[in-house]
Amino acid sequence: MKICQFLFYCFLLLLTQTPVHAQQAQPGIEQLLKETFLDDYYSNVVYGYQIVTNTQQHASRYVGNKLNCSNCHLQAGTQKEALPLNVAGMYPKWRAKNGQRNGIGLRIRECFLYSMDGIMPPEDAPEVLAVAAYLSYLSQGQVMGAEPEGRGVPTLPDTGYDPNPANGRSVYQDNCASCHGQQGEGAAGIPAVWGLDSYNKGAGMSRVDMAAGFIWANMPLGKGKSLSHQQALDVAAYLNLQIRPSDPRNSKFFKLLEHLID
Amino acid sequence: MIAKLIKEAIPSFAWINQSGKWRTEVFAGFVGAILVIPQGITYAYLAGLQPEHGLYCAIFVTLFSSLLGTSSMISGPNTAVAILIGIAVLPLAGRGSPMYIDFVFLLCMMVGLVQLLFWLSRGSRIFQYLSPAAISGISAGAGFLILLASLDSVLGLSTFNTTFFYEKLYVIFSDAPDLVNPYSMAIGITTIAGGYIGRYFSQRYFIIIAIITGYLCGLLVAFIWPQPVTELEYLGRMPLQWLPFAIPAINSDYLMSSISLIPYAIIIAFVSLAQSLVIVRELKMETDQDIDLDKEVYAQGVANFLAPFFSGFVGSGSFNRTRANQSLGATTPLSGITSSGFVLLLITFLGPVLTYMPMAAMAGTLFILGADMIQWGDIKHYARVRSELVIYLCTFFSILFFGLTTGVLLAVFLSVSVFMGRISQLELKVVKTGSGTQLNVKGTLFFATIAQLTETFHGHLGEDLTLDLQYTTHLDQSAVDFFIREAGNMAAHGARLTLLINDKQGEFLRQLGVNGDIKLISVGTG
Repeated sequence: MKICQFLFYCFLLLLTQTPVHAQQAQPGIEQLLKETFLDDYYSNVVYGYQIVTNTQQHASRYVGNKLNCSNCHLQAGTQKEALPLNVAGMYPKWRAKNGQRNGIGLRIRECFLYSMDGIMPPEDAPEVLAVAAYLSYLSQGQVMGAEPEGRGVPTLPDTGYDPNPANGRSVYQDNCASCHGQQGEGAAGIPAVWGLDSYNKGAGMSRVDMAAGFIWANMPLGKGKSLSHQQALDVAAYLNLQIRPSDPRNSKFFKLLEHLID
Repeated sequence: MIAKLIKEAIPSFAWINQSGKWRTEVFAGFVGAILVIPQGITYAYLAGLQPEHGLYCAIFVTLFSSLLGTSSMISGPNTAVAILIGIAVLPLAGRGSPMYIDFVFLLCMMVGLVQLLFWLSRGSRIFQYLSPAAISGISAGAGFLILLASLDSVLGLSTFNTTFFYEKLYVIFSDAPDLVNPYSMAIGITTIAGGYIGRYFSQRYFIIIAIITGYLCGLLVAFIWPQPVTELEYLGRMPLQWLPFAIPAINSDYLMSSISLIPYAIIIAFVSLAQSLVIVRELKMETDQDIDLDKEVYAQGVANFLAPFFSGFVGSGSFNRTRANQSLGATTPLSGITSSGFVLLLITFLGPVLTYMPMAAMAGTLFILGADMIQWGDIKHYARVRSELVIYLCTFFSILFFGLTTGVLLAVFLSVSVFMGRISQLELKVVKTGSGTQLNVKGTLFFATIAQLTETFHGHLGEDLTLDLQYTTHLDQSAVDFFIREAGNMAAHGARLTLLINDKQGEFLRQLGVNGDIKLISVGTG
């Protein structure tokens, strides 16, 4: 009996001693950039990183405006509350935007169509596959299917007031215009926030709540959360009134018909 | 020898003096540039690369091969070569990824080197043995592969491969409602129809008509239905640089992984040179251009070797563009040189327009080009001679079922073996003379033809034999050994062997130790 107990304790000890299979630390992006030869996965990760940080050069085929992915996905998609890109484990998932279950491929392609105001790359385009690989790379350590901490942008609480574009204009002049320009045209390294070189009306950023959350959490750059919730909402409303490329989901033919019938 | 090589390596520019009509050349170059743009883009697609690489190929391969060459042949992106690049590199990396491009560049350098080796070893002589039937068979087979590849884009399928082509057709037909994108198909069919109707109006520019029809149809579709609905694939912006310098990644890791590319490099070098030399030979026969074949081989090799340094891929001579060039009256390399310049200019100005070019329209033109490569006239032409028909059909069907690589190798093997079979036949004529039997031997006397001679010898055992070797083109050692052995044999039967020879053959025979059993009679100088 004693022996049995002893064996049982030994067994328990063994169980607790068995190390949980350690996840291999993956090389950092800086290290990958220095390598002269990478396997298919990591070469795609590096390509994806280059696309995210310098979309204008590395994915120019499908880009229609002058933005880069990292203009909104700050720090190449690693900063929390600034639309971080460590979300590969959450796809496929249903999205209200297009009313269907989206794979990671379709999600990336839509970024090109709306936020980059370009054309939708095919599902198997090397650019899409590379960004998907980069997303998987960033998502290491996340729980599959669970929402990562700091995903997307924070949802602002109800301030009790409607967003006021007129007030937003003065907030913009005081806090934003020094970098983004009086006409929202941006500058070298600073994205245009409206105009034809910016995201179009189908982009997530052209929703007031989304833009307000992003602005409150991250803007002005480096001094995030310095604006009040109401100021952020006002600026977002002001931005939303400005001219920008039209929503690519609208058929130009039906628009024309509407105008003709009117 | 070295002096000759150096002379070939330096561009001659002999054509500068003879071209009095540079305006014709420049216009031909302009038309060539218009023709090459859709081809470059679609062939880059076949090779699994971004469109701009095809255009760089159309610019720099054309430029270098025309600068160094001597003929009005237009080089540049080529279908068979592009397909082979895709087949070779796909197992190593994903289509179009940075690694894939590195491997393509490495492969292109290898191809250039192999072609330069061909030039140094005068290996290009082997292409003389590739029979016209084999070349037509390869072209028809490649045409069929292009047709199949173009279906992917015309019907808006995501690329898929099956073991045999009919399975793919079956899958497409049986699953059409799920697989086929109707918008894409509409644009593709409009393009193809536009091309065939346009052919009635202009034989030369029908590809341009086809692509404009497809483009307009694509604009109409995009006007009515937005892209998230149609899921159409567009060409997109082409970030073309004027000097796209690139340094191919050469380090031990890449070289280790690219060992599997070497056989493909040899085959691509072979296919590319074969097409170029067929074109050059035709030009040499049909025009009075001062063409140096070895120099053309050198030009192709250097152009292909330098292509990856300018972000391009391997090219070769183009049948359709050279024909267009010729029909416009170009006779010097100047048309090729101006053509590459015009590509650069046209793309710089057309780039924004081409952004919304649907890939289905591009693939539609590819479909027409592929269909043109299968010529029913060829089959009728070769059907008259059985051996030619066998070569043609074997090549065609092996490409269909086993791929381009196998098909090309089989074509070479078949044409060489048919040729071998022909030259290893001796023409023997037995003449009875007063002093015995005389045998007139016509053909090449070597190890393969001796068996035939042996039979005749054994048929006349014990008789005095006289062999007339005046019309024998070549004697090799085994033939001489055969004579010595047979002469000894005949001497044992009391007969004697006499050879009627020329001086050169006599020298060779004595050198190999012909003894007194054989009587040598010199009848002339050879």
